[in-house]
Amino acid sequence: MDEAKRIKLDKEHSKTENNTLYPVLPDDLIIDTPLTDVYVDTIVDPKKISKIIKEINSVLPLPQLAHLKRMKSKEIILYPVSLEQYQIINLLKEKTIDTSAFQNNIRIIQVAKIPPMTRKQFEKVNKLWPCNFHPNNYLEKLSTNTLFSHDELRSHSRYMKVAVDVAKFAKDNYYSEEQIGAVVVDPKRKSVVAVGYRQTNKGVLKHAPMIAIDNVAKTQNGGVWNPLLNQDTKIELNLDGIPKDLLEYLQIQHNDIVFGAQRYKEKDELIEPADGPYLCTGYYIYLTIEPCVMCAMGLVHSRLKRVFFGAKSSNGALETLCKLHTVKELNHHFEVFGGLIKHV
Amino acid sequence: MSELSENECFYMDKAFFYAKEALTNQEVPVGCVFIYSNQIIALGRNTVNETRNATRHAEINCIDQVENYCNDNNLNTLVVFSEISVYVTVEPCIMCAAALFSLKIKKIVYGCRNDRFGGQTVFDVASILNPVTELKGGYRGEEAMELLKEFYRGSNPNAPAGKAKVKKN
Ligand SMILES: [Zn+2]
Ligand SMILES: [Zn+2]
Repeated sequence: MDEAKRIKLDKEHSKTENNTLYPVLPDDLIIDTPLTDVYVDTIVDPKKISKIIKEINSVLPLPQLAHLKRMKSKEIILYPVSLEQYQIINLLKEKTIDTSAFQNNIRIIQVAKIPPMTRKQFEKVNKLWPCNFHPNNYLEKLSTNTLFSHDELRSHSRYMKVAVDVAKFAKDNYYSEEQIGAVVVDPKRKSVVAVGYRQTNKGVLKHAPMIAIDNVAKTQNGGVWNPLLNQDTKIELNLDGIPKDLLEYLQIQHNDIVFGAQRYKEKDELIEPADGPYLCTGYYIYLTIEPCVMCAMGLVHSRLKRVFFGAKSSNGALETLCKLHTVKELNHHFEVFGGLIKHV
Repeated sequence: MSELSENECFYMDKAFFYAKEALTNQEVPVGCVFIYSNQIIALGRNTVNETRNATRHAEINCIDQVENYCNDNNLNTLVVFSEISVYVTVEPCIMCAAALFSLKIKKIVYGCRNDRFGGQTVFDVASILNPVTELKGGYRGEEAMELLKEFYRGSNPNAPAGKAKVKKN
């Protein structure tokens, strides 16, 4: 099946599956491309157009507006409005541009200030003034919420159901307050690495995501809170990230899901530097509820690759109060998806 | 910026002691102490590499210690947190600032700004959490920054080679 056809099918599938998952995108992908004012004039003599473009491009280049075409039909961009109109006229004369071909009807119009990032943004600003656009396929899929195939969406739902069951089990067995489930998944090995649930009855920091992060550390001979002993050293995957009773329960509920982390390798055992697990690099986390600021930043520090959450939270930091993952100054950025199984 | 009292200078000294200990142990050099009724009740440093848990910052380690202190002494944890002053060599990161603000910590005094993760410098946590905590920095800032630079000049021995910076001798 060719790519276009497959994408079309996937799109239809995700619609029929009643997909409620959505990406939480940086603002600059959602808002309209910012606009800026420029002076334009009309060239009355069409024969002179190509000569004038050549001249004006060489003596009055627009490096900040390189994404724009210089002409729209007979209209030409003279300069940004950083200068006064008389200064523009002087400038044109000074640079000996043949202004006899101009209508001498200089006016101000709005054009795209920066290159549009998505097709949707492009289509809007291209109507104002012709614009170059180099679509980024990945961004395009992400921003139109068509990134995941039918199978991938099903897989995300399945892991989120595990997170829901973690919350249920925790509520019934450990801590009867409103519960939150967290499941860390290694997408390469398609296995559940660690889980977490709220234990704020045992410590103010023990939010579900923080517990899950610490449980991942346990699969790497680390961790701080209630260290578990190696559960079974013979099996291929490490199960230190999942409490034993919870593991048994989850294995019954989800017999088609693999549990356990890639075995941790000490530095001298590594064949390649990127061979061993390092923090949560490359992992996905599924959270029944949007995380708070502390947990969201803990996830950034831990270098998760993707964060999926179910319902929004009034103190959530990935959509509600802020979108922490879109802070450009941070050295690590993960993708965030909300709305995956909202009703727990 | 007001000067620190003699006691406060002593607390800052302690924080620096643990920051240097972190550096010796190839951890990001941040140290801190928590003061409750003129006593140090928690102290520590970053243990991220040792614990393989990227959230084990000095402040997080201290928060766990305060809880143990409260349990041992039969004190109300939330009341104790609200009377604590924190002395830390580097501006708390976004995660730690959020944790300390949520616990209604009385005061945070720090050394240098945290240009990578700062809870004020990189992302203003206070603007969304509206904390009661007083936050002030710039105490022995250059010295704290120098420790960080020394760490980042070397390589983080626990990061995968591709991501670690080349060690310059
Ligand atoms: Zn949290
Ligand atoms: Zn921190």
